[in-house]
Amino acid sequence: MRRWWAGFKKFWMAEEIPRWFGFSLVVIYLAGLGAVGILGMSRVREDAAMRLEKSIRYGFAALSKRIHLEEGTAPSDPGVVRSLTREICDFAAHFPVEFVRVVDHAGRVLASTNTDEVGTVVVSAPAAPAGAWITGFESAQQSERLASILDFRTPVFRHGATTDPSGPAGPEDAAGRPGHTAAGGSDDAGQYYLEVSLFARPTAASGLVEQADALMVVLVVMGALFVLYRCLRAQFRGVSRIADRLWANRERIEQDLSSLRLADTSDALTTAWNELVDQAQCWLEDAQRREANEELKGVLERSAGGALATALNALPDGLMYVSEEVRFEYMNSAAHRMLGWSAEDAKGMNLTNAQADGIGGGILEVVRGALSAGGMYESRMVVLGPEGPAQDSAGSYRVWVVPLRQGRRHGECLVVVRDVSQQVRAERAREEFVTQVTHELRTPLTNIRAYAETLSSGMFDDPTVITECYNVITKETRRLSRLIEDILSVSQLEVGSIELRSEDVDLKTLLSESVRDVRGLADEKNIDMQLVLPSKLEPIRTDRDKLAVVVNNLLGNAIKYTPAGGNVIVGCQTSADQAVITFKDNGIGVDPAEHAQIFEKFHRSNDPDVRNEVGTGVGLYTAREIVRRQGGDIEVISKKGEGSTFVVRLPHQGTRAGALSASSEASHHG
Amino acid sequence: MARLLIVEDEAHIVRVLTLWLTRHGHQVLEAPDGASALKVLERESVDLIICDMNMPVLSGAELAREVREGMKLGLPILMVTARCDQGRIAEQLAPYKVKLYPKPFVPSRLVADIERELGAVVREGGA
Repeated sequence: MRRWWAGFKKFWMAEEIPRWFGFSLVVIYLAGLGAVGILGMSRVREDAAMRLEKSIRYGFAALSKRIHLEEGTAPSDPGVVRSLTREICDFAAHFPVEFVRVVDHAGRVLASTNTDEVGTVVVSAPAAPAGAWITGFESAQQSERLASILDFRTPVFRHGATTDPSGPAGPEDAAGRPGHTAAGGSDDAGQYYLEVSLFARPTAASGLVEQADALMVVLVVMGALFVLYRCLRAQFRGVSRIADRLWANRERIEQDLSSLRLADTSDALTTAWNELVDQAQCWLEDAQRREANEELKGVLERSAGGALATALNALPDGLMYVSEEVRFEYMNSAAHRMLGWSAEDAKGMNLTNAQADGIGGGILEVVRGALSAGGMYESRMVVLGPEGPAQDSAGSYRVWVVPLRQGRRHGECLVVVRDVSQQVRAERAREEFVTQVTHELRTPLTNIRAYAETLSSGMFDDPTVITECYNVITKETRRLSRLIEDILSVSQLEVGSIELRSEDVDLKTLLSESVRDVRGLADEKNIDMQLVLPSKLEPIRTDRDKLAVVVNNLLGNAIKYTPAGGNVIVGCQTSADQAVITFKDNGIGVDPAEHAQIFEKFHRSNDPDVRNEVGTGVGLYTAREIVRRQGGDIEVISKKGEGSTFVVRLPHQGTRAGALSASSEASHHG
Repeated sequence: MARLLIVEDEAHIVRVLTLWLTRHGHQVLEAPDGASALKVLERESVDLIICDMNMPVLSGAELAREVREGMKLGLPILMVTARCDQGRIAEQLAPYKVKLYPKPFVPSRLVADIERELGAVVREGGA
C-alpha cells in the first residue's frame, strides 16, 4: 500500500507528465467522445422507439376496437377469421411488429400475421402490470424468446358473452388483469386476446448508458483538470521553487542574500531570479561598505585633534584614504611628508590631477596604476626610485592599495606606504657580504693550499722557496683566522653572546703591537706609519683582545684606503674619564653623506676607490659595536678625497649599565 | 714551451703559479690587472692567459671581452675565480669562450689543465 502511495506521490509530483499517462488521457478522451456519440445515437433510437411505441399503442387501441365479433358469429367462422386476419395484417403493415395475433383464453391462435400458427396453441406471457411491457410470448417459429422482444396483450372480445368493445382501450386497461395460461380459469372462458410482438427496443440498456456517460464525463473532466493542473504547475514551478527558497531562508535573508540563489537554472525564470538575487546582493554589500566607509571617514574626520589622530600621525607608515571620487580625504603625517604636501594642500586633492615630486610622484603613479587596473587589485610592492646601490638614497617603498569596495571600477581605497629602504639596503648588503666573504675566505685558502702543495710536491728544493712557502702559509693562515674572527664577532654581536672581560690594559703596549703587526702591509704600499703617543698614558680597564680587534680593524682600514706613499698617524690620549685613540690618514676619505652608513653591518660604499679593495663590510661595524658595548663610541671626521680621522672614545670605567644602554642603542641601529 | 700571461692582483698566487709553470718549462709574463694585461698583449705574443676574475682597473670579464672583441685574439683564457656565483659568471662569460677555474686550486692540476689546453691548441693548429 505504502509502495503504491509512494508511486502515486512520485507520479503526482513529477515535473514531467509520463508519456503513458498522456496517452491514456487521449484514449479516455476519445472513448468519452465515442461514448457521448453512442449515447446520443441511442437516445435518438430510444426516442424513435418511444414514438413508435406510442403510435403502436394508439394503433393497437384502434385495432382492438375494430376487432369485435358480430353478435351470433362464431370466432372460428372463416369470414371472421379472414376479417381478423385482414385487420391485423393491415396493422402489421403499418408497424414494425414481429407478429400480431388473436388468441383465445387457452392460447389457441384464431388469427395471426403468421398464418402457420393459426389453429395452434401458443404460450402467452402473463398480463403485464400497469403501463409496462410484458415478455414471454411464444410463436411457432420462435421456440426461444429473446428478451429483447416485447409484447402487448389485451383482451378484445368474448364469445358467448357481452363484449364491451370500448372496454379494453389499450394496454393500460389490460393492466392488472391476471395473465392467462393454457389452463386458464373459467372466468376467461370465451375471452379472446389480441397479442402483438414488437421488435426490440433499447429501453433496458438506457440506464447503463447514462451511467457510463456520467462516468466518462467525470473521467474526461478529471483528466482535463489534471492536465490543466500539471500545465499550471509546470508554468509556475519556478515561482514555487522561489517561494520555497524564500521560506526556507527567511532567517538569513538580511545577512546573506546569496542563500536565495537557486541551484538549477534550467529555465529563464530561475536564471532571472538568480540575476536579481546577485544584483540585490551587490546592492546590499555596496550599502554595507558605504556605511562602513562613511563610518571610517567619520572616525578619521572626528579624530582630527584626538588621540587616534595622534596615533595615526605617529605611524612611520604613510596612510591615505581615497574617496570614491578619487579624492584624498585623509592623510596622516607620514603620508604628508612622503607626498610633500601640507595638510591644506592635501585636503580634497584629486588623485587624477595630483602631482608630487620625487617619491610622492612615484606613490601617486602606483595608486593610479592600481585603480586603473580595475575593481580587483592586489596589494603590491613597488620599489620607487632608480634601482641600484648608487641610488639608495632614492629609497625603496612598499605601497599597498587596499580597495574598500569590490566588484566594480571605482576609486575608494586605503593606501599604505612603508619606507623599506633600510631593509632593502640591509638585504643587498647581506648578499654582498656573502659574496665578499666567500671571496675573502677562498683567497687565503688558495694560497695556503697552493704553497702547501708546492712544499709537499718535492719539486722545489731551493731553501729560499721553501722558506717563502712557510711564510706565506703562516701569513695566510693568520689572515684567514682574522677573517673568521671578524665573522664570528659579527655573529656574537648579533646574538648578543659576546663576552667582555675587564682588565687593566696598557694602551701603549697594545697600540705598539698592533702597529707592528700591520707594518708589513704598510711597507708593501710604502705608507708611512707613525705612532704618536704622549709620555704617559693611564692604563684603561677594558677587554684587551676586543680592543685589539678594534685597533686592528681601524688600522687595517687606514692602510687599505690610503694610496701608496700616503701616511697613517695613530695617536692616543687619556684624560680623567676616558681614553681617546685617533687613526688619521690622508687616504681616499669618506663622503659626509655616508658617515652613518659606513658603520652599518655589511655596508660597502659604492665609491669605486672602495670597491677596488677587498673587504666584507664588517670591520667598522664590529669595531663600533665593541666600543659601544663598553660605553664608548667611534666618530669619523672625513671628507671625500681629504683623508679620514677615526676617533675612538672609551670611558675609563666601562660600567655594566653603560654597556647595556649601548647595547640597546646598537640593536636600535641594527 | 709556451708563453703564458698571468693576470692576477694577488702577488702570492702569481708567485706560486710562476714557480710551477717555469718549472714545467714555460715562460711566464705577469700583469697585476686587466689594463696592464692588455698592454702586455699588445707587445708580446702569448699562447694562453691565466686570469683572475676580480681585479682592479679592468676585471677579468672586461679583459676577456677586450681580448675577444677588441683584439680579436683566439688564445685560450683560463679564468680563475674565488666568487661563489659561478653560474652567473659562466653565463656572463659564455660569449668569450673562457674556461672557468674555481679557487682554491691545486697547482699541479692547474698546470696539467693548462698543458692540455695548449695541446688542444697545437692539435687544432696542426689540423
